[in-house]
Order: sequence, then C-alpha cells, then structure tokens
Amino acid sequence: MTGIATVQQAVLDNGLTVLGVEYTRVPWVSLAFMCKRGAETDPPDKPGVADWTAELLTLGTARRTQIQLAADIEALGAALTARGGWDATYVHLDGLAEDYDTHLATMAEVVQTPALAESEFALLKERRRAELTQAEDDPREVANRAFTRLFFQGAPYGHGLRGELHHLEALRLEDLRAWYHKQFVPGESVLVCVGLVPFPELVQAAARHFGFWAGGGPASPAWREAPDHLAAPGIYLLDRPELTQSEIRIGHLGLPRSHPDYFPVRLLNYILGEGGFSSRLMGRIRSELGLTYGIRSTFAWRRAPGPFIISTFTPAENTARAVREIQAVVREVREAGVTGEELAEAQSYYIGHFPLGLETPRALARQVLNLGLHDLGLDYLERYRERIARVSLAEVQRVAQLHLQPEKLVTLVVGPGDRIKEPLAEMGPVADLQGEGGGFFLVDKFHVIVCDNTDTCEKKDKPLGAIK
Amino acid sequence: MATSPALDPRSWNPQIAIVPFTLDNGLKILVLPDDRLPIVSVQVHYAVGSRHEAPGITGISHLFEHLMFRGTATLGPEEFSRRLQAKGGEVNAFTTRDHTSYFENLPAEHLELALSLEADRLKHLKLDAENFETERQVVLSERKLRCVDSPFGLVEELLFATAYTTHPYRWPIIGWDQDLRRLTLEDCLAFYRRYYQPGTMLIVVAGDVRPEAVRELVVRYFGDLPGSGPPPLPPAPEPPQRGERRAVFKKVSQVEAFFAAFHTVGLGHPDIYPLMVLAAILSQGRACRFYQEFVRPGRAAELEAVMYPPPWTAADPDLFIIRAVAAPGEPLPRLEADLWGALERLRQDGVTDPELGRAKKLLRSQTVQGLAKTFYRGLMVALFHLKAGDGTLANSLLAAYEQVSAADVLRVARKYLTEDNRTVVTLKPVSPAESQELGPLF
Repeated sequence: MTGIATVQQAVLDNGLTVLGVEYTRVPWVSLAFMCKRGAETDPPDKPGVADWTAELLTLGTARRTQIQLAADIEALGAALTARGGWDATYVHLDGLAEDYDTHLATMAEVVQTPALAESEFALLKERRRAELTQAEDDPREVANRAFTRLFFQGAPYGHGLRGELHHLEALRLEDLRAWYHKQFVPGESVLVCVGLVPFPELVQAAARHFGFWAGGGPASPAWREAPDHLAAPGIYLLDRPELTQSEIRIGHLGLPRSHPDYFPVRLLNYILGEGGFSSRLMGRIRSELGLTYGIRSTFAWRRAPGPFIISTFTPAENTARAVREIQAVVREVREAGVTGEELAEAQSYYIGHFPLGLETPRALARQVLNLGLHDLGLDYLERYRERIARVSLAEVQRVAQLHLQPEKLVTLVVGPGDRIKEPLAEMGPVADLQGEGGGFFLVDKFHVIVCDNTDTCEKKDKPLGAIK
Repeated sequence: MATSPALDPRSWNPQIAIVPFTLDNGLKILVLPDDRLPIVSVQVHYAVGSRHEAPGITGISHLFEHLMFRGTATLGPEEFSRRLQAKGGEVNAFTTRDHTSYFENLPAEHLELALSLEADRLKHLKLDAENFETERQVVLSERKLRCVDSPFGLVEELLFATAYTTHPYRWPIIGWDQDLRRLTLEDCLAFYRRYYQPGTMLIVVAGDVRPEAVRELVVRYFGDLPGSGPPPLPPAPEPPQRGERRAVFKKVSQVEAFFAAFHTVGLGHPDIYPLMVLAAILSQGRACRFYQEFVRPGRAAELEAVMYPPPWTAADPDLFIIRAVAAPGEPLPRLEADLWGALERLRQDGVTDPELGRAKKLLRSQTVQGLAKTFYRGLMVALFHLKAGDGTLANSLLAAYEQVSAADVLRVARKYLTEDNRTVVTLKPVSPAESQELGPLF
C-alpha cells in the first residue's frame, strides 16, 4: 500500500453502494455495513431503538441461533459487532482474510435475515438495564450523558444512544422490528470492505450476497436541521457528593459536517483544544496551571449541527477557577485569533499525520464509512492534505469570530455540590440538576425536564498502564 | 480471476525483521526495518517502573515520566511534544510496573528530529520547583480520574495490595496519594541520575528506515552518554499464597462487584500461552463460557477473565484476574458461588476441541491485527526484550498460541485457579452519607 488508500466504488442494481480499499499489510478484512439512519430517528420516548436493533441483528438469524452464530464466527477468530450512532447504524465483521468469503456471507445473513427474536430481546433488555445502571457510577459517562440531555432539550441528538433507564419498559420488540423494516434499505446503505481482497472480486461477491436484497422502506428523511431550542446559556450543577473531582462540560451548538467552513474550523479547533500539548486549552489549563490531567475541545461533525464541547475534570477545589480559565481561553481565541505559527503547525500536523491514520484496516474502514456517510467523494482522502494546506490565516480568524460563541456557552459541572457551588455562584446563577432514577430533573428558574442519556463510550486504557 | 501475490493471504510473512546494535556505552538498539508505509515509530524504553520504587516514593517513575516533557536547557515546557506533533507525530509515554516508555510515531523523514529531541531531554532536562509542583498537581488529578473517582479503581488497588504481600507489584503504578504529595524535586533528580542511563535503556526504531542510518544517528546523539545504570534489582519473589485472602471495599456504587486474582507467571514463562487460551475460552467473544452462562442471561453486567496478554504481561509473576459485576437484582454471593462452580467444572472436565480451536483462532486474529501497526510491532519486540530478555520472542507468538493443547489448558487451570491461590475483593455499595462517615477517599 502506498501512503494514500485508493477508494473504489460500485453500486449494485438494488442501489446498495459498495466501497472498497485493497489493503495488503496484514491478511485481514474489515467489513462494515452502514445504514444511513441512526439514533436521531429513534421514536420519541423510545430512545435506544436504533442501537438495540443493531445489537439484535447480531443475536441470531433466521438460520442460526445466537450461540450458533457466535460460535461459527468466533471459530474463525472473527468478531461481529453492531451499534447505533448518530446519523447511521453500523454492523462490523472483522476477521482473517483467508475466511473472507464466509465473513461476507455472514454479514449478508445478519443484515438481511435477522431473527429479531423475542427471547433475545428480553435478555438484551436486562443486559441494558445492568449496563445503564452501572454507567451511573462513572463520572465521565454521567457528565457526557447529562450534558447531551441538558443541551439538546429533547431534540433528536438529545437522548441516550444506548437507551435510558427510565424508558426501558417503553421499548418493545415491535419497535425494533418496525425500525429495521423502515430504515434498512439498500438505497440508503453502504457496504465497506477494507482488506486483502481484490476489488473486482469484492463487487462480484457483494452482488451474489446482497444483490437480491430488497429491504424495507421508505426510510425516514435524513435529519439536517438545527434544533429550535437549546438549554439556556449558564451554569448547571449535578451534585455528586462522593466525588473528589469535578467533571466539566462546556459547549454550544456546532456545525453540520456539510458546512463549507469544515476545514478552517478543524484547524481552529486543533489550536483551541484538540491538538493536545499544542492546544491553547492544554497549554493554559494543564501545562501552566496544573488544574487537570486532560482537556479537549471537540466539534461533533454530524449531518445536522452537533455540539461543540470542551471536556475536562479538576480536583473539586479548582472547579470555579477551571471554568473561568476555560471561558477566558475561548474568548481570547475568538477575539485575538490565532497566530500564523499555530496555524502552520496545525496544518503540518494533519498533513504529516495522514498516513498514520491509514495504517490499520479498521481505521481505514472508519475513514471510508465517513466519506460514504457524508458523501465526501471518492477522491476525498487523496485531496484531504491539499484542502488542509489551502486554509489561510484570515479564514481561521473569520471562523473563530463566527463559530466560537462564548456568550452561548452552556456549562455543566458534575461534582460535590457542597464544595463547588458557592465558588461557581460567583460567576452567575447556578441551576441545580437532581438525579432521579437514572435521569434527572432540572429544578431551577429555566424549566423542568426529565431525561437520561448514554453516549457510546468505547472502553479504553486497557493495556498501557498509566499514560502520560 | 488472476490475483496479484500481494492480495493473496498465503503470501503474507508475519516475521518482524530485527537488526540489533549495541553501542560502546552499552546502549542497545533494535531496528525493525519495514518500508510498507512512510512512517516510523521511535521508542525509548527505560527499564525502570513501579517495581523499582519503595514505600514512600511510590509513583516516582510515572511522575518522572511526566517531568521528561517539562523542558530542557533549550526547550520550554511541552515544547518537545509541540515540535514533533507539528510534524504529524503522535507523541506520548507510559509507565508500567517494569518499564517507562516514550514514543514518537511520525513520518519517517523526521526520524532524526525525534532522536535528537529524545537525546536532548535525556542529557539536558531542566527542572525547577515550579515545573515540578505543576506536574505534581497534574498527576494528582490523574490519580483521582483513574483511581479515586472511577468505578473500580480503588477496588483494583486493594486487590493488588492484598494479593501481593511483599512484591513491589503491590502498590499502584501511579503511586499512593500521600507519596505523590511528599515526593520532592530532589527525589526525582536522584531517580533520574540513577536510572536514566545507557545501561537501562533500549531504543527501538520501527518502520521505513535503513538500519545503518539509524545506527549513525544513534551514535551521533547518544554515543557520548556515560554510565551503565544501576545493577539489576535482586529478585523479589512473592511467597506462594497459602490460603484464600478476602477484603471488602465500601463505596458509593449502583452495582455490587467482586474482583478475584490468582498468582500465575511472568512474560518469560511458557504457561502464559495456555493461560491466555484459558482466558479466551472463559470470556472472549460471545460464544465463551462466561457470556453464555452469566452475561447473556443477565446475571452479570460484566464478567471477564483478564490476563495482561503478551507482551504486556509483567516480568515477574502476574495475576489472572476475574472482574465480576453483578446485574441489578443478582445476589453477589450466589454469582460468586456459581462462578467458582463453573471454574471447578472446567478444572474437572477440561475444555472441548471446539472451545480450544475457537480460542486459539481468536488469539491468532488478535496477533495478526496488531501486526498492522508499526508502533505495536516495535512495542512487541521491545517489551519481549525488556521483560523476557529476547525480542525475537515476538516472532514466536503465533506459533506459541498454535501449540497450546487441551491438556495444557487443563494443567494451568488446575495449577493456578485454586482456592488457596485466590484473593477476592468485594465492592459493597453504600450511600453518600455512609461513604462520608467512612472518611475521605484518596
């Protein structure tokens, strides 16, 4: 493989798009099926439908029970996983290239003839109950979920991807079946294969296994809107008296992936808070002040505008100071802009790092899925570095002023209220959020909502021990 | 249809090429040339980790790792990371029980920059009281994140502190809170002078490089370093456990859980491979025993058998750990009793051929997948070299898994998974008020 992966495309007669990258570094194949509708189409009051449906696909087919399917796949050393995301739902099958044809047949079977069995649904519900209950013990998860819920106020990105404790009983197997039959259609789906497989062979096999699939439909219209109302700017507190450290989330509405300012905003955000030790936030909050171990800002690039969020944590006694300092950094970047040197470093980072992001089949598959989801064009990876290089300092200054909005920041703190509320109140009114049954009530002058949310959070930090 | 050889799985060669050098000052270098992608992974490993510490200075290896980013005679704090990141580099470091490792993954053309900056911070590290204090606060925040406020961090700490009675693996890599607060800059400088020397170092350069060119650069930047490092630590064997140990940890929690540990072997011991197969039979994938018996029916929210896989296994005898989180409504004592029953059945009846085949192929897949990453290829060779004395063992990994038999799995299950060799820590949920009455967490 050269430094640039060549993405090839074919469209089957039934409308299914096939995207492939021939990959030779290891004898591996990463297959992914993407239905371009996700948790944003979960019916109101039934959060989790897309994600649960995805998981249920992996729990048995018309031909094989859960245990047969798992045993057959794992006998080949492969792994089948599925999840609902925002804007799309994914099924992944990763395995050795020597078994590629079997993997593709299995993927077709899982996608086209899932059992969607009542018995597996009942077990899945109990597992989710356990998982969502357990998530309440992880302050980072609690903060992520509470922020999403608070911020979006019931709009399509404002609920739990994996379901919500207090809505578990509302979810029924019929909801999942209905969702599957509506959204899983060839014309709104993409099959991705990155692996040691020649593309013409892939297309033939895909036609054999997927060519006769009609699917259901019509799929929901793609959601592209900005929500009509969001949480009022200000400070919100979710009291967790047992914590020694506060989790902080600060954000406002970001931009859709299709926004023409995507590249300058990415570079801006690298400088603000995504670029690790090259970022302003890390430089100020960690390196100079020692207030935290980690801080990052993220624009969630989705089909409709996703959130822009700054995430960090700090020992409880530093909470108000950290919030104040973060706000000051955002204001400074917006008002004074960034330097030419910072921009040049951000550009050379993305350009230099590019081949490192194409090393593994799974990472490549992620890139290909992304270009399929957002219709970025087959030459997207080839042109990516040039687009990064073309961004000017003036453009970054312009987007900083336009898209960073310090006056709209919603600040959520999850931490020990008795230690942090008073110092926070010096910055303005603090609205209390109170936990109840996995959701929370917002009890303050703004309004009252009950909600709960789970963002998918991959388990990390497994083998490395303590990381810098 | 004709297929080019590159697209035929049978033409793949899993061997990692390793070219070793040793400089006159004792510094060891392993070069892993591989021109498939225009990238390089530069890794500087120091054979010092938490096992080289002592009570009172626990956490110094990791805290010092942070200090290595705080500037040199010519570079300001974090300038090291900024410079390399500006070339597209992934720059980081990690500390384990046995070693401290720094790495830069970046475009191959910047190899010299990475090596020169690594040499600069090794020779000209500049630390002052203010830098030191800032970084101490950062590490205290890291400790709260990973251990104190995380769902099971303190439970795991208690597990290691109970399972090991004399071996240095009994304290956490990140260190005890009180030690982090009382460490001084002088302690760190003494640690630096003692351990950061050619004799304790290993440099690995993997990727699109020529071994001779690497050698020249390493000689240029590291050849003048004096010092052999301290003599290796005498062995600190943990006395064989003579009976089950149990402990309870109370904290605010929505779930009940128990963590169990069995003493096993270190990375260099051949039993590590059947132990990995055993762990995969028990808890990898969804056809495994634990998933079918406990997770699928909703009795356990989580149930895993975890052994740090090669090359992450510790140098000295490591623990085989079972993490069990009860699902809401499942009584923990019943879950625990049934789990020991399931292990006893395995110890009696052994494993089936399909189970064995499945586990071995899963481990083969995992290994093959890892070989796609230049960084990981370098780590495999480096960690085998550091902990088992032979980097080429990385090339035997696939065969080692393949050779494991059902009898091997049964033997290690009977040998290590015994009640007398077991330590169990139970997490008992309490209310926030009860938690406060028990005293502060740190």
